[in-house]
This record gives sequence, structure tokens and C-alpha cells, in this order.
Amino acid sequence: MKRVLSSTSTAAPARRFNWRSEWMLAAVTLVLAALLPTVVSGYPIYVLPEYMIYGMLAMSLGMLWGFTGILSFGQAAFFTLGAYAMGLAMKWGIGPNPGYVALLASILIGGVLAALVGYFLFSAGVRDIYFVLVTLALSIMVEQITISQSQVTGGFNGMFVQRMELTFGPFGKISLTHDVAVYYAVLPVVAFVYWLLRRIVASSFGKVLIGIRENEDRAISLGFSTSFYKTAAFAISGAVACFAGALYGSHAQFVSPSLASVQFSTEIVIWVAIGGRQSLLAALLGGIAVASLSNYLNTITPLYWQLVLGLVFIAAIVGFKGGVAGVVQRLAAKRSEEDI
Amino acid sequence: MSEFLEVRGLTKRFRGLIANDRIDFSLASGALRCVIGPNGAGKTTFISMISGHLEPSAGTIRFKGRDITGLSLVRRARIGISRKFQTPTVFDNLTVMENLELAALGKPGAATARQSRIEEVIEITRLSNLARRPAFTLSHGQRQWLEVGLLLANRAELLLLDEPTAGMTSEETHATAELLHNLSDRFKLTVIIIEHDINFIRDLRSPVTVLHLGRILMEGTFDEVSRDEQVRNVYLGTA
Repeated sequence: MKRVLSSTSTAAPARRFNWRSEWMLAAVTLVLAALLPTVVSGYPIYVLPEYMIYGMLAMSLGMLWGFTGILSFGQAAFFTLGAYAMGLAMKWGIGPNPGYVALLASILIGGVLAALVGYFLFSAGVRDIYFVLVTLALSIMVEQITISQSQVTGGFNGMFVQRMELTFGPFGKISLTHDVAVYYAVLPVVAFVYWLLRRIVASSFGKVLIGIRENEDRAISLGFSTSFYKTAAFAISGAVACFAGALYGSHAQFVSPSLASVQFSTEIVIWVAIGGRQSLLAALLGGIAVASLSNYLNTITPLYWQLVLGLVFIAAIVGFKGGVAGVVQRLAAKRSEEDI
Repeated sequence: MSEFLEVRGLTKRFRGLIANDRIDFSLASGALRCVIGPNGAGKTTFISMISGHLEPSAGTIRFKGRDITGLSLVRRARIGISRKFQTPTVFDNLTVMENLELAALGKPGAATARQSRIEEVIEITRLSNLARRPAFTLSHGQRQWLEVGLLLANRAELLLLDEPTAGMTSEETHATAELLHNLSDRFKLTVIIIEHDINFIRDLRSPVTVLHLGRILMEGTFDEVSRDEQVRNVYLGTA
């Protein structure tokens, strides 16, 4: 009896994320990230914004998978569309600041496309693995379109993207040629998106999403139109992924069809699975950490690293549903219990 | 004058099998009704058609004077028809309080009204000191009550309870009968209960409808029904 009690009391907090401690952790991370360029310079400061953008992409999936219980392999499709939107807006020079136009357009493109796809699939009752397959097909379609429409997209060769500028109307402008300027432009945007998604999942709307994850039939029987909620969640997720793509296009200054490949689609899922899907911060840090580790280890031992990553992914799916965040939390719960 | 719930000629065919055969049934507002019958009598089919989980092959269902036969599950839940499943169906990883808060969000209304409703529900379902416990740590009987609590927090007007005492101890079963009595008095709820447990049905002191082979065999008080020769034959012969 005693053992049963103690095992439930440790299992219970491990499944649940403590909101207040996550805000604290997020604030500390933000301060550290903001101070980083004062200590470090060169390549890390150049490349970190890219990983932060990946982290944003990971959050778009974390919100969908971790909070609503919908797995999507289509985040790469939205990301790629955003990146091309940035490339084309810059190429065609749309509006007074094509970069701003592309960022706004990417939110619309990702949101509307995801809403349409979500509406048709969810109202037709497409769930679980079938939804996963359709989203995977979505990525493949985007990849094929970007290859076939070569007169616009540059086909296989991809497309160079001019870096956007920050303009402030009569107050002048900031050129984003310097790495530190880019770093300080991307960081607050990522922090804002984190804050926004956190507000969404903590709202009444977010509570219904969690209810759908926990028991969709129960949610329907309580009068929640779950296909509407799932469509809305997918639309928000698509908008964030596409927006992240537009930022990526501007930062990488190059886009190619391989962004929508099955491999990249899978990588996004791996980031979130390893970081931990029940927490947006875990997804964000998972995206940053796994992407940068991948980049580093790929240059040293490409073959073995892919293998290791695959194994870690399987371990996270089979044994550690909460990912690294889940393990950390379980340890923290155990320690606080020992303190008592 | 139309009844609160009025069912006419309700029929459900599954290929060759007729699960419900031209059932006429009506219920006044605030009534408590027990539906009994041997296995395969069509009890669950009957309430599934009222809740919107199954589409009838023929017949009409009117709720508060309105024809709801073609209405979707979600819309029926919104106008106040809520169903409790045979196995407790709650949000397992959420706490009792979170479960109830979520259910209360199902209907529009002020936050303060929702909160006082939740407090009332958590007290009447005897879950007050378990408010912060995740639902999966509760006992089977407590989870059954939590599910009833979800329907209450959701402000259902017509409760469809599919074997609410399944898996309960005899004390819990007795307490559930008390709970359901309190509910219909306190919240002016109309309740249809499917049951097997004969002691529970006696405790309920409510009119009983007996289903057999998809048809209504008889309706009456517990005493009338339990004395009836036909009903005894059905129960002893088939079940």
C-alpha cells in the first residue's frame, strides 16, 4: 500500500508541467541568451539565430502535438512556403519594405492553408495516423511544386534571398548585415512567439485543446466542436511555422526544395520528441539544442550521428514521452520529495 | 402541452437485427427514470439515439418541444443532453478541478457563475478533498462520480446514464442512488438511467421502463414491475 501511494505521488507531478517554474526558466534562458553576444562572438552568434528560428518551428509543432495531441509532419511544408514567400517578395520588391510584406504574408499563407487543410480533414473525421500521412504528403507536395515551378522558384538549384532590412518609417532603418544585429532582431521575435503560444495554451481555448488531447470523445459529448478547435490549432501552428520559414529565408539567404523534404519534416518531430512535447519551452530548447548538435556532429561523424539520433528518438517515443524535460522534471520531483 | 422528452416510433436496425422497435417513450421535466432489461434488450442503443451517438432508422425525438432527430452530437450536448458512458470517460491526466473547469467551459456564461457551479458540483459528488488529484489516481467509483460531475458542471438538463454503478462497491452504489436523488431535486435535472443492479433500482424509487427484444415490455413502479409475471420470465429465461 505504501509503495502504491508513493509511486502515484511521484508519477503525478512528472506528467504535469509546473507553469510557474517554466516561466522562471524561460526568463532565465532569455536573459542568458540576451547576454551571450557580450561574451561570445563569431560563428556562434552568426548561426544561433538560425537555430532559434528552428526552435520557433519546433514550438509550432509542440503546441499542436503536445497540447492538442495532433502529430503533423507538415510543419516543413509551411516553413518552406514561408521561406519562398520571403525570397519572392524580396526578388519582386513588393511594397515599401518587402521583408515586412513577406512576414505578414507568411502568417496569412500558413494560417489560411492550414485552416483549409484542417477544416476538410478534421470535419471529415480524419484522425491519428491518417492525419499524419496527409501532412507528410503536404510536405512532399510542396517539395515537388518548388522543384517543378523552376521559372519562379529556381527548381532544384534553389533561390538566393536578399536579406531584409528593418525600417521604421521616418525614424530610419537598421541594416541586418551585422551578425549581432541579426541576433538581437531574432531573439525578441522568438521570445514573443513563445509568450504568445504560452498565453494561447493557458487560455480557455488552450484548455479545450488539452481536453481534446486527453479524451476527444468526452470533449465532443460536452458540446465542444472539436473539429473547429483542431482546425484553429492547426491554423495557428501553420501560421507560426510559415512565419518562422520567412525569417529563415531571410537569415539563410538561400532556400531550396530540400527544406520540405521528408528528412527535414522528420527532424522537426525529433526535436520536439527529444526536447519534450508537453512544454513549449522544452520544444524550443529541443529545437535549438538538437539542431545545433546535429550540425556539429554531422561534420565529425555523419553516419554514426544519424544512427544515434535515431536511437535517441526511439527511446524518447517508447520510454520517455516527456522527452528531456520530462526526465528533468521527474528528477526535480524526486529531489523535492527527498527534501521533505 | 409537449413533454420534456418525447420519443415516437424510434427504431434502429443493424442489418438484419432490430435493436429498437418502434419505441414510444416520454418523460416529464425533472423526472427520474430507470430503464432495465436483459442483455441485448436495446437499452444502450436507445440512449445512444437520444444522445446522438447513433442515428435512428426511423422515428422522431423531441426535446423541449423541438425535433432533434437530425441534430448532431455536439449540438445536442449544447442544448443540454449529456451522456455518461458505461466505462468512466474523464480527462485522465487532468486534476478533478481541471476536469470540472473544462466541462463548465462547454456553455457560455460568466466566470463567477461557472465557479460557483463547480463548487456546488464538487461538493455534491463528494470530490472536494480530491480536487487537486489527477483523475487517473481516483478509484473506479470516484471516476464514475467525476463523470457525472462533468455533466453537471456542463449544465446538462437531460442526463443519460449508462450503468452509472458499474464496478462500484455496494456502499458506493447506495451512495450513488442518494446522489442521483439529490441531483434531480437540487438541479431540476431529468435523468434516464440504464441499470442492471436490482438493489440500486430499488434504492432509486423511480418509475421503471422494461425493455425486451427492442420493445417496451412494461412501465411502472419498481414494485409493479418486480411482481409482474412477464418481467420475471424475461429475466429468468434470458438473462
